[in-house]
Amino acid sequence: MLLINNLSFTRDKNKIFENLNLSLNKGNITQIKGDNGSGKTTFLQTLLNILEPNTGEIFWEGKNINKTIFNFYKETTFIMDQSSATKHLTVLDNINFWRGLSSSNLSNDKILLLLESYSLDQYKNTKVMHLSSGEVKKLELLRLIFEQKNFWVLDEPYNHLDNSSIQILNQTFEDHISKDGIVLFASHFEPEINGLEIINFT
Amino acid sequence: MLFINKIFIFFKRELKLFYTNIVDLLTNILFFFLSIFIFIFALGTGDKLLETIGVGIIWSLLLLSSTLSIRKFYEEDFKNGTLIVVHMGGISYELMAFLKIVSHFLFVQIPFLITIPVASMFFNLPMNEVYVLFLTFVIGSLILSCLGSISASMNLLNSTNFSIGSIIVLLFSIPVIIFSVGIKNSDVDFFSMINLLLGISLVFLGISPWSSAACIRLALRNK
Repeated sequence: MLLINNLSFTRDKNKIFENLNLSLNKGNITQIKGDNGSGKTTFLQTLLNILEPNTGEIFWEGKNINKTIFNFYKETTFIMDQSSATKHLTVLDNINFWRGLSSSNLSNDKILLLLESYSLDQYKNTKVMHLSSGEVKKLELLRLIFEQKNFWVLDEPYNHLDNSSIQILNQTFEDHISKDGIVLFASHFEPEINGLEIINFT
Repeated sequence: MLFINKIFIFFKRELKLFYTNIVDLLTNILFFFLSIFIFIFALGTGDKLLETIGVGIIWSLLLLSSTLSIRKFYEEDFKNGTLIVVHMGGISYELMAFLKIVSHFLFVQIPFLITIPVASMFFNLPMNEVYVLFLTFVIGSLILSCLGSISASMNLLNSTNFSIGSIIVLLFSIPVIIFSVGIKNSDVDFFSMINLLLGISLVFLGISPWSSAACIRLALRNK
């Protein structure tokens, strides 16, 4: 599905990563592991064409993503390390915005159920700026589910989460890969997930 | 159909943000009226004097107070990554900039129109000049929104010097001021001046989405 060929990225003459090859297939879950500043975030942003690589190509379903970028984005959810929720809007307003953008067809009842399972339902009409950082992170992770995309890219998904949320997240990952989804995430935390492949960044 | 829905959702969010940040608009309006009072106190209350310089002063102050809010154009969405999320939702940066310009025009500049009749009263302007002011401001504010988009996206690239953005807006709005205020005094016919203003607004509407998108891309790469 996703093929990365000979990817390198240089910033201010510092080689962040060099000649990187990677292929991700249906049902794969891959972790990028590395110390702070080892280039995990840079790699994810290069993969999603936000940063431009110095050399190398990225193929999605056999096509170079430079030419068919929106086809690639149509099947990709990217969870950044910071929250992309608008602080001045309520939780439901943010959810409706994301839902409309990804043209997902999840019903309102299902959304409420989801909020309940992440114990966010009492805050649905609260502005995001009044939530704690763990709750904001959980709200951000909900995007994975209601965007209904195939390829999940996550940057530090375990930050700010408590133990029960980590377990729910791991369960979500396992459900997704059992449905032929692809998960790629960067973290220095070691989660317990069946079939996890680890790539070490130095 | 789905694409139109996305654009609709985008506007809905902008409208909600406008409602929650309505204090910003009221502050701008307050700034506008206070500046008018300062002008009047500084110049004295001669009827004839205020009437002759009224349109010029109102236009310059409208310009200054609209530069107050442009810093917020992209900054928040850029910082929290909404720009990337919207882009990955299938809207290109160019279209995003265009939608931002239109929503800024609709939700920030158009509500500002209510100040014009009140401001005209302070300067004792005749009714036909108020109409002209109204018309030129509708066209001119679209140009100001375009310029605001360019300067705000350029401001994403530097995090220290905020006044440079206002300087760009002021510099490029000189033709707008010349033609908007010039309508009153010129001997040429009224419609040729309006056409010139419309022409300028079309040029900027064409240029600014592309240049804003280029600046946003550059800023995302240097983040």
